[in-house]
Amino acid sequence: MDPRLRLRDQRKHQFQQIVHHPYFGFVLLGGLMLFVQLIQSLGVAIPVSIMRAFGLTMIYIVIGLGFAILLGYAGLASLGTAGFVGIGTYALGYLTNARGFSVGMVVFYSVLGAIILGVVVGFISLRIEGMYLAIITLGLSEILNEIFKNAVTITNGTNGLLMPQLVFFGTYYTVSNETVFAAIAVVLVLMMFFTFNIIKSPTGRAMLAMKNSESAAQAMGVSVLKYRLLAFIIATVFALVGGILYMSYIRYTIPTTWSLAFSLNLLAAVIVGGSRSIWGIVLGSFMIFGLDLAVFQRIIVTPDRNAAIAAFIERFPEHQEALRTFFVNLQQSLPVITYILNGLLIILVVMFYPGGLYQLVLTIKTKLVTAWKNAVRKWKVRRYGQEV
Amino acid sequence: MGRKFDVLKRRILMAPIRWLESKIQFETDYLPLKMEESRERVARTVETLRLRANRKLASSERNAGIASEAVLGMVQTAKLKVEKAYYWKRLAILKQRSDAYRKNRSLAELDETFAPRLHELETQRLSAIEQATIRLIPQESDPSAIEACDHLGRRVRSRLERNETMLWEEHDRHVVFWRQRFETRIALWKRLLAKLQSEASKLQGQTSPLETKIEPDAVLKLDQLSMHFGGLKAVDQLSFSVKRGEIFGLIGPNGAGKTTVFNCITRFYKATAGGLYYRGKDGDVVDLATKKVHDVIRLGIVRTFQNVEMVWELPILENLLVAAHTQYRTGFFGQLLATPKLKREEKLLRKKAMDVLEDLGLEVYANFYPLGLPYGILKKVELARTLMANPDLIILDEPAAGLNDTETEQLKEVIRKIRDEYQATIFLVEHDMGLVMDVCDTVCAISFGKRLAIGKPAEIQTNKAVREAYLGGE
Repeated sequence: MDPRLRLRDQRKHQFQQIVHHPYFGFVLLGGLMLFVQLIQSLGVAIPVSIMRAFGLTMIYIVIGLGFAILLGYAGLASLGTAGFVGIGTYALGYLTNARGFSVGMVVFYSVLGAIILGVVVGFISLRIEGMYLAIITLGLSEILNEIFKNAVTITNGTNGLLMPQLVFFGTYYTVSNETVFAAIAVVLVLMMFFTFNIIKSPTGRAMLAMKNSESAAQAMGVSVLKYRLLAFIIATVFALVGGILYMSYIRYTIPTTWSLAFSLNLLAAVIVGGSRSIWGIVLGSFMIFGLDLAVFQRIIVTPDRNAAIAAFIERFPEHQEALRTFFVNLQQSLPVITYILNGLLIILVVMFYPGGLYQLVLTIKTKLVTAWKNAVRKWKVRRYGQEV
Repeated sequence: MGRKFDVLKRRILMAPIRWLESKIQFETDYLPLKMEESRERVARTVETLRLRANRKLASSERNAGIASEAVLGMVQTAKLKVEKAYYWKRLAILKQRSDAYRKNRSLAELDETFAPRLHELETQRLSAIEQATIRLIPQESDPSAIEACDHLGRRVRSRLERNETMLWEEHDRHVVFWRQRFETRIALWKRLLAKLQSEASKLQGQTSPLETKIEPDAVLKLDQLSMHFGGLKAVDQLSFSVKRGEIFGLIGPNGAGKTTVFNCITRFYKATAGGLYYRGKDGDVVDLATKKVHDVIRLGIVRTFQNVEMVWELPILENLLVAAHTQYRTGFFGQLLATPKLKREEKLLRKKAMDVLEDLGLEVYANFYPLGLPYGILKKVELARTLMANPDLIILDEPAAGLNDTETEQLKEVIRKIRDEYQATIFLVEHDMGLVMDVCDTVCAISFGKRLAIGKPAEIQTNKAVREAYLGGE
């Protein structure tokens, strides 16, 4: 027995245990984000808009995780997420600015409020299901939106609420964007841990049982009341935490952000990514929010700001004016193109990959692995005349 | 007044008794698991330490020319490495040879070109092995090297021994501590349990006003049960009782209200009138009308469905774990943080689920998703699911529907086995008369919600009213 060999095997085994641990990917994602922030702080020129896109996408992932538990596990459709996120932002903005509450206290009160809200919506969901529940929650969200617009003393109305500073233990601090970004990454990893634990626990199974067959779930001792309330509470807590993160990062909130469009985008992100896997949510959120923020909003096709396009126009002197107008128009319509692309994506995914893009990724991965193995086998047969 | 108060008191006492019983059971299962985990951890660490010590010693042993296990192992590894490389080289040459043969070269010509190459490769291989091993085992040994090796060996071994004993002692200390803590706690809980139980048993028996509603040897009693849907009387003043430990069959033509009776018992329907009484394992009588749908399983009443109701998005094993939902003792926050307690609990319940699956011969399907599995298998999985829930009364809604003859024969065996091994009473609805007549101890025939006859299977077969209901009157 060779001790070196055995030790190497042991080390390999330990390494594999760490790498195959489900938390590893989450920590890797968080670590990557922290690393990006670190090198940006050290002077590597990463554009601010890209950082902002990453930060916002992370916040949307947090909100999406809660929503995925609600939709993918408990099987309850909700369009009220925007309102709850809005509450989170206004709670932080108002309580710190006007009342001087510490951030910890705001989080505590928000979670308390989220539980109350979740219970209210959960009780509504006991009597109403499916599409009707979505409409009810949509109505709730619109009510909240109207409150944001009209409760001027708290929310500053349609002008939006500004929150220049955060409060920690009674003292006002100006926290840099970099710090908040790091905090978001940490919270994201924590939320991913929690989500993973919930969906792998008896609670997750009970919710799935409730979604698949309510009568079987009840016969097995799952209280529908309890788990519907729990699902709504979890989703609302995640949304409020997302709202608090958003407010600390952007420092500004305005009612129009928390409209139906946001809820629909979130729904799209969860559906496109795959509502039953954490990585699906990450992928979907990046597709719907991140791609728009980090890529489409940064494409510049105006001739006077993009040398390559200016040179391209130079090559066709007779159509110069027409091309110029075309590119200027294209620049103006880029945000609309995002919507069109998102719509197309949703249609394609729902038609061909009901399990979401994550399922597609898995399929591609297995296909690549099989192709690689086949290629190796073929090469070996050609060279050595036998497999193995 | 006093009687009512006693019943209430007993009901209040029963909750902590059940809690304590499950706690004691869980802790008793949990302790060996914890010890085993700790032992494995220590064993792993000790093995690593030993390997490290051997590795450390190996180089000096090699210098001293001692053929220890570690050195021989290293030689073996070096040899194998060389052998592996030359195996592939030889294969490549042989492949070239066979390709040449296919191009109609003569054998003599082939030997001319390839025999020297193979020979050369063989000599290369031998020399490579020699070189690899020579590097590891020197031919002559130096007394000073032996001295140094001895010295190092003594030091390393003594340190290893010290560390090992330290680790094992620590483990033993932990085990003793856990066992002591466990024993003191268990003693306390058992004392408390005995106290509560004696207190509760004093209150048991005639005190309950429900006691008069149900026979002493019966598990379930339907007393003038009626279920009306608007004007339709699905169940009409039906009464019978199911005895403990028997297999009770409920038969009747289509639309006789059999499934409605089941739904009333499991509280999916609220009965219009009449009483439903159930005597639990502890001998207490429960009025089922006061229970919620999801509480029924806690009493020990578990049911299957006419059309299989599975959690399609979970594998079979986890479907069984859904049935063990009420047996988890970790709360929501424990689940949120995935505490070691939850993991061990999960391990125990998974083992239990595997045992149940093996009992029914389903262990191959443990990791299959139910979607796409044959109907007969799914029916069996539903049975397994009821067994997972520590059943007292199993209610089977048409267990043989959609099964072929062999499967039905197997099902008879399974039903008897469940009754005998799990000490459960079985109450079933079935259209397959062969199964009902073979398996059941008592059969009750109903038609349009009304009882036609009740008795032994043979009596029912000869009953005139039953025949008329099935085959039509004169």
